[in-house]
This record gives sequence, C-alpha cells and structure tokens, in this order.
Amino acid sequence: MIERRHLAPPIGRVVATEQKPATPHQFHFWTATETTIGIGAIVRVEGLGAGDSGRVVYGVVTDGFAYSDLATPLHDVVGAEGDPAKAAESPTVRQEIRLWTAAVLRQTPEEPLQPVPLGEVHVASDVDVAQALRMDAYLGGAQPTAIPVGLYTSGGLEAPVYVDADFLLGPEAAHLNISGVSGLATKTSAVEFLLASIFQHFPPHKGRVAAVCFNVKGPDLCFLDRPGPLQEEDRRRYERLGVEPAPFQRVRYYAPFKADGVNLNTLRTHPDLVGDVEPLVWGLREVLDYAEVLLNRDDIDAKADAFIDFLADRVVDKEFEDGFGGVHRVVTFADLERLFRSIFDGLELASRGGDSWRTHHIATMRKVRNRLANISTRCKGLVTDDGPSNDLPWGTFDDRTVYVVDVANVDPLGQDLVFARVVSQLRERLERRDLGVDAVVVFVDELNKYAPADGPETYVKKMLLDISERGRYLGLVLFGAEQFRSQVHRRVVGNAGTVVFGRMDADELATPGYQVLSPATKIKLATLPIGELMVRHPHFTQPIFVRFPRPAVLRGRDGVERYPPSADLPFEDAVARQLVKLDRRVRPNQVKDIIADRGEEDVRRALAHTRQARPRDVLAYFKKQLGGRVAAVPAAARESVAPLDPISDEPY
Amino acid sequence: MTVSGSWVEAVVAAGAVPASHVPDASLGRSDVEEFTGADPVEAAELHTYPLGDAPPLAPGAVCFLDGIEQWRVVGYGGITPIVRAHAAAAIRRRGPDRRLHTVAEATEAVAITRLDSLPAPVRRALEAADVRVLEFPAEHSGPPARALAAARLEVQKVRATLERRLAERRLRALAPDEWLVVDGVLSDSTALSEHPRALGVVKSHGAHYFEGAELERALTLPDGHRSGVFRPRARGAGRDIYSWYVRLWPWEGNDLLYGLLRLEARAHPDTLALAAPIAAWVRSQRAPIATPDRRWDRLLYPIHDVETYLRARAPSDLTPHPASRIPYPGSRLPRAAS
Repeated sequence: MIERRHLAPPIGRVVATEQKPATPHQFHFWTATETTIGIGAIVRVEGLGAGDSGRVVYGVVTDGFAYSDLATPLHDVVGAEGDPAKAAESPTVRQEIRLWTAAVLRQTPEEPLQPVPLGEVHVASDVDVAQALRMDAYLGGAQPTAIPVGLYTSGGLEAPVYVDADFLLGPEAAHLNISGVSGLATKTSAVEFLLASIFQHFPPHKGRVAAVCFNVKGPDLCFLDRPGPLQEEDRRRYERLGVEPAPFQRVRYYAPFKADGVNLNTLRTHPDLVGDVEPLVWGLREVLDYAEVLLNRDDIDAKADAFIDFLADRVVDKEFEDGFGGVHRVVTFADLERLFRSIFDGLELASRGGDSWRTHHIATMRKVRNRLANISTRCKGLVTDDGPSNDLPWGTFDDRTVYVVDVANVDPLGQDLVFARVVSQLRERLERRDLGVDAVVVFVDELNKYAPADGPETYVKKMLLDISERGRYLGLVLFGAEQFRSQVHRRVVGNAGTVVFGRMDADELATPGYQVLSPATKIKLATLPIGELMVRHPHFTQPIFVRFPRPAVLRGRDGVERYPPSADLPFEDAVARQLVKLDRRVRPNQVKDIIADRGEEDVRRALAHTRQARPRDVLAYFKKQLGGRVAAVPAAARESVAPLDPISDEPY
Repeated sequence: MTVSGSWVEAVVAAGAVPASHVPDASLGRSDVEEFTGADPVEAAELHTYPLGDAPPLAPGAVCFLDGIEQWRVVGYGGITPIVRAHAAAAIRRRGPDRRLHTVAEATEAVAITRLDSLPAPVRRALEAADVRVLEFPAEHSGPPARALAAARLEVQKVRATLERRLAERRLRALAPDEWLVVDGVLSDSTALSEHPRALGVVKSHGAHYFEGAELERALTLPDGHRSGVFRPRARGAGRDIYSWYVRLWPWEGNDLLYGLLRLEARAHPDTLALAAPIAAWVRSQRAPIATPDRRWDRLLYPIHDVETYLRARAPSDLTPHPASRIPYPGSRLPRAAS
C-alpha cells in the first residue's frame, strides 16, 4: 500500500498565505483545472519538508474557488469589445486556478497537533478513507462493530463507509435522524437499506436485534418482504458494501381494522398478501394505561387523572362492587359503560341526591366517561368495545425481524395511541430484558409531527425525548425522519448520534442549525441527487457524502401497482376470509350461513375470540363463541279490558 | 535564504558588509534611445494601411518567448557592490486548446562585482563559491551608481543570452505551421532573424527610424492600421530585418505610443506578403487583456503569461520587499549574526 501511495501522482498542492494560512483544522490546496476533486472529496496530504516528514493529514473538501488573473470584470468587457461572443473567441485562455478549502478529518500523528504541512495532495484510497474517518477503530479487532452505510465516491474511487454499531445502536451513542425534502431525499429508502445492513452486519456479540416501523403514510413500508427491481449499478454497490441485495426475510405486519371491524385498514390488502397482516386490536386495558395520550391538555387535571388511576387500579379486570348493590367485572369498554350507568343511576336514586361517588365528583366521572367513549368511537377498528385484543408479540420478538405497524389511515389520535403504547411497551420490555431481542430500532417518519420543536408537551413528545436521552442504555434506538429538521425538538435531533441528510430545502438550510456547513456544502445538499446522502457520525469529524444502493424491497408505490389493494369485502365475506385464513378447511358458505341474521357485534366478538384462541377446529369454536340462535318469538297479544257499558245514550 | 544564496553568507563571513537593496532600475530593461534610420521596403516612403479585411495569420500553434532578470545588492566589499542576480527565460506553447504550456525553460544565477576591487578575503570567498562570477568593466568601478548601472547591463546580457539560446533551440523544433513569437527584437540572433516563422514583438520605442512626416505617420497610426514594411538600418548586431508598426488600441485620448507595437520578421519578400496577416493576427491577440500589467495596451497576454510564469518560479528574496528598510541592529543580517 505504501508503494501504491508513492506511485500515485499528486493531484494538488497545499498553499498557504498570510490571508489564507493552513491551520490544524483547515487548509487550502490547488489542483489542475481538470480534476476529479469536488465538494465532499477526501484527500490525503503528505508532509515532506523539514519537520513535516511522516506527517499525514486527511481532509474533506468543503469549498472550492475558481478565478483567473482578470483584474476586474471591466477588462474582460474591454478585451471582448463589449461582445460576449468575442470573449469566448479570445486566442488564449486566461490562467485559471481551482483552489479548494478542506477541513481536517484526521492527522497522524495526532500529537502534537500542528498546522497542515504545505505538501502534496493525493486522492484518498480505500485505506485512506478508513483512516480518515477513524473507521479503523471498529473495522478490525476481535469484535468488529462496523455497519456499512454507503459508498464514498470520488474521482472513480468507491470506498465503503461504515458506522460503528456501538454508536448507532448503543450503548456509546445511539439514534439516527434523517432529514430531507419529500420525494427527493429518499429518506425511507435510506432507512430500508440501513436496516438491511444492520440486520446483516449487527455484531453477534451484541445479541439480537429487531425493528419496529410505523407506517404513517401511504404504502411506504407495506412491501418490505417483496423483492424490488435493482439495476446492475445497485447490485455492484451491494457487493462492494458486503450486503446481500435481498428483501427482508422476516416481516410481520400489523394494522387495525376499519370501522366495520372486519376489513383491515391498510393498503396491503391484495389477496396474495393480506394473509400476512395481523389485526391490531386493543381493548380497555391497553387503552386505559395510555389514557393520557388521548386526553387533551384541558382534560388533564388532577381529578380526572385520579379517577382514571382509580379505574385502572381498582376496577379494571377485578370484581368490583359499585356501592349500589351491583357487582362488576370490567374488562371491556362495554363493561365500563355498564358500570358508569350503574353509578349514575345509583347516584340519581340515592335519597339525598349526592353528587360524589367514592370521593370522585360526578362531573369528573362524566368527563372521563365521555372521553373514553369518544376514544372507542374515533379509533373504531383499533379499539374494540367488547372483544379481546390482538397485539404485537411482546416477549417473543424474533431476531432480525421487522415489525411494521401500519397506522397510515388511522385517526391522528389513534396514531398517537399506537405510537405511545408500542414504544412504551418496547421500553418496559427492554428494561426487563424480556422482549425477545436485545435491541430494537424504532423507525418513525414525520418526526416533526410527533416531536415538534414548538407546540404543547404531549405524552408522545415526552416519550420521544425520553427515548432520545435514555434509550441507548436500553437498546431502544430511534430512527427518525422528517422533512425539516429545524421543526423537530432540539433534544430529539440533538441526541441522534448519527445524522443523515438527503436533498435539503434551501430555506431549511438557511436556518441556524446549518451554520456549521460551508456555503458549498449547503449548495451540494440542496442539489443532492437521489441515492446520495450526507452522513454525520461521532467517529467522523466532518460530514461525509455517501451513495447507497436502492433498497432491495418493493417500493410502496410499485407495490400498490403490482399488488393493488382489494376493495372492502362485504361483512360476511370479510368474516369468512378471516376464518379461512385461520383454517383452510373452512368454507365461506358455511360461515355465511352461520352468521346470517346475527348481530354484527356478536359476530365480531366471536371472530376476535376465535382469532385469539386459534383453535384446531376454527369453525366449531367460532360457532360456539357465537352462541345459539335465539328464535324470535312474536309478542303475545295483550289482554285488554273491555270498555264499560255506557250508562245511557246521553253523550255527555 | 535559499540554497542558491548560500554563497552570500560565505562572502559576508569573509568580511563583506551585508546589504539588501533592489535598485528601482532593476525592475525593467531599457531600450536604446537613438535615431538609427530605416529604408522603405514596401513603398517609397512610409505609408499606413488599414487592416480591414486582411485575413489574420492562422498558425497551428504559437510559441511565446520571454525572459526576466532580477537582482539585488547583497553586500559591499569596500564600496564595490556585490550583486546577486537571477535571469530566466521560458517558452510557452499555445496549441489548439488555447492554453499555454511550458515547452522550454532556462535559468541562471550569477554574482556580479569587480573582483580586483574587493578586499582579498572577500574575493577569495567569492571565487571559491559555487556561483558564476561576472565582472563589470574596471572603468565602472568606483561610485556605486555607475557600478550598479554596469551590473545591470551584465544581468541583461545574461537574460538575453538565455533567451537567444532557448529561441534558437526551439526554432529547430518548430512544426511547419508553428510560429515563435519573441518579446523583443530578432536582430540579436542570426537564426532568429533568418527564420521564416519567427516574429519579434517590440513594445518599447526608444529607437527612432523616421523623422518628419514619416515619423508622424508612424506614431499617429490609427487603430486597426499597420505601417508599411521598412528595413531598420543596422544597429547592435546589425542583422538585416524587416519591420512594421501596428496599432492595437486607439491612441487618441491616451498617448502616441498607446497600443503601438513594432513587429520584426526576416528580411525576405515573403514577409511583405505576410505583413498584413501578421499584423491582423497580432491585433487579434488583444484579448485577453494583459492586466494588471501597466503595459497591457502593448503587452500580449501570452507574453505576460510567460513573464508571470517566470516570476512565480523566481527566488522570492530577489523581489523588492514591501516593508520599510529599517536597519537591523548591528547592521548584520540575522543569520550571519548568529
């Protein structure tokens, strides 16, 4: 390698003047006019002079200048006699310079830290890139922790760039934030590729890893298990990065029902794929623990909070005597509603007409009742009134598995609930180390919506802050994406150890958060092509531009074209399909006969129980849950008393 | 101090008093200021001709030759100056890409003094040094002003020799459609003055070839015109040459010599036919303008480029320092004092 270094001719030379001196952190160099160097290129400077021999400095180009020996623009006008066409016809091309500014990435030896020597500038090789980015610290050794993130490309060179798993997924640092304009920044694609890379390169000594992805818009994450088209260039990049270009092997999809309670609220409803989608259904217990998410700021007062705590601690899932002679076992929203009715009736019938029950004022109880009832209305399909719940496989998460929770078409309130509950569960399980995996990547798009820089302190925002600040110790890693980084809470983005930028909006780049970037870097960010990203990582002293291959999964838009979502099925057909999914022996016609003339609520409840129990004989179990058909009995004719005979014919 | 200047330390150590002085006159070279006369070639007397529709010369490539000289008084042996001088010349070739590339280059560093006027230890130190020592004539030793003027002539000779050597070597390598343009006269060299594709471009007009109406015609040449071809009467080396004037920029509102160039080419009938195309071609070299050089109205950009190239490569300690000349304590150079 040393030989190779010496054989390669220099592409530039460091220059320093009193006005533009070389410093320990920055230097300037010139190159030929025709050069492969550009913004983001990594270069190596070799000190040759006295005192500089052996010193090697790596830098990344942050700015470029070009100028000629033209003293003033007016002289060009004079020379061309005012005709721009003539200016191009001048017999001699003026002397020009390509002057570059580079920020120091690394110096060897690192001590004493000195100004960059005025030496030759070389294009960085693979080895140089690893040295410059300090990747040598985690690429080798007994337990390497390198995870490929993309290819650094410059002047025909392609060098893999790795991030350190200890700094991406904890415990040293954690979290990744990616921002960029919609459609061009390829944020989702970048995360999909990175997840694939993590799954294939997560060091064995760090244990098991899984990902939970919230699909919050369209079909973005609905086809992660389907192979997408790749070009030869992509395959070459995969090979260079050592990542197998394959879709995710294990993906579990979860989506709530639509309001009808039987059709899934997702775009992955094509008959070939819908069988993989598990319904996400929560009952009273799941909701009550996160009631704070669902109550707006005006609702949250000490009284309401105390009453909700009372319900959660003393009432739900317990035998409870209401004080008016009734005994309740509240498991579902319907049970809770019955309890409320009993309490209100009891208070009304009480002799003194009291307005408190167990120290809780009737107005507080009515407010809580209204809010909770509102939840089951607004989140119908996600929250069941009286059926069993169906949840993520807490405690049995599989290694290298993606859990996609599709809440794209769910009411924002419901999205908040799903988000809060899933992440809280992940946190609790990881704390107890009984999730099934050691680390979980949580991918949240539209982070500016859940953790905005401004706005009220919502439960979700507080939770995201908590993850950002403490998740790395637990293995709970937040991969957040947003269009405008400046609109996300500072502590959320500030705690992201790895920051990725796709194509950025110029207005966004003008915000104070980007002041550390040079104007040239900003311009590059504003014009970044699809598939190229700028990465900041704790080991890199400067941001690095990398290219990543297109993810090997079917893109959401392509997915819905290849697997168009099926129209909502009629109630009977939807029920039949779910039962067939549980047991292929079930005939749809049998199901239709069984549920004919039955109330939809009863059918939904029976279906939920069957889905939960997964019995061997699905149809029999379903039938049993549905109960016997009660024949309609016509009301008996009421005996009436014959009118009295008139006393007289007198009409008055 | 550069390696080439190491002999300076030796002579200072031998007793010469260190000095650091760049005479103003060393920044440029002078031209002969005398009347020599000329013989008309193209017509009976000097006429002017509009370039008008004359098709410019269209060489495939052009080589441009220029040289520089830099010198500094580095010490005194008694009152005799010891001068350190650097002369350099280069040829930069412009091909179809319209960019200039160096194809030949020569430099020489010399010491100039009067050895027999120096104290013996200083003289011995200088003779033992690894530098070519040139001596100005004995009659110029004495007052420093005369000595310095003589030293300056010696430096000019070194530069002219370098230029001539490079030019003659390049002439042999010129392609059939390639020209050599020299900053200055051709008549110093037989080879140059006889070559069919060598052109001298003279921008100083110290020498006068005409008087009366002809002189007025020559010096008031309108923009876009050339003068008739004439044969300067012998001066200097006295080689036969054809010459003519061309105006690059309108002089009205400036000065008579503004934008006025005198061209030299071989004394041959073919030169008469080429006078107009060559003049048109030279005029086409006005762009790009050779600013910030003060002589930009007459300085062709490629020549300016060669000069810039040479100055960029010249020893930096030979250019006048912008700082004040406050004496060093003890009148010793810092390094010598140590």
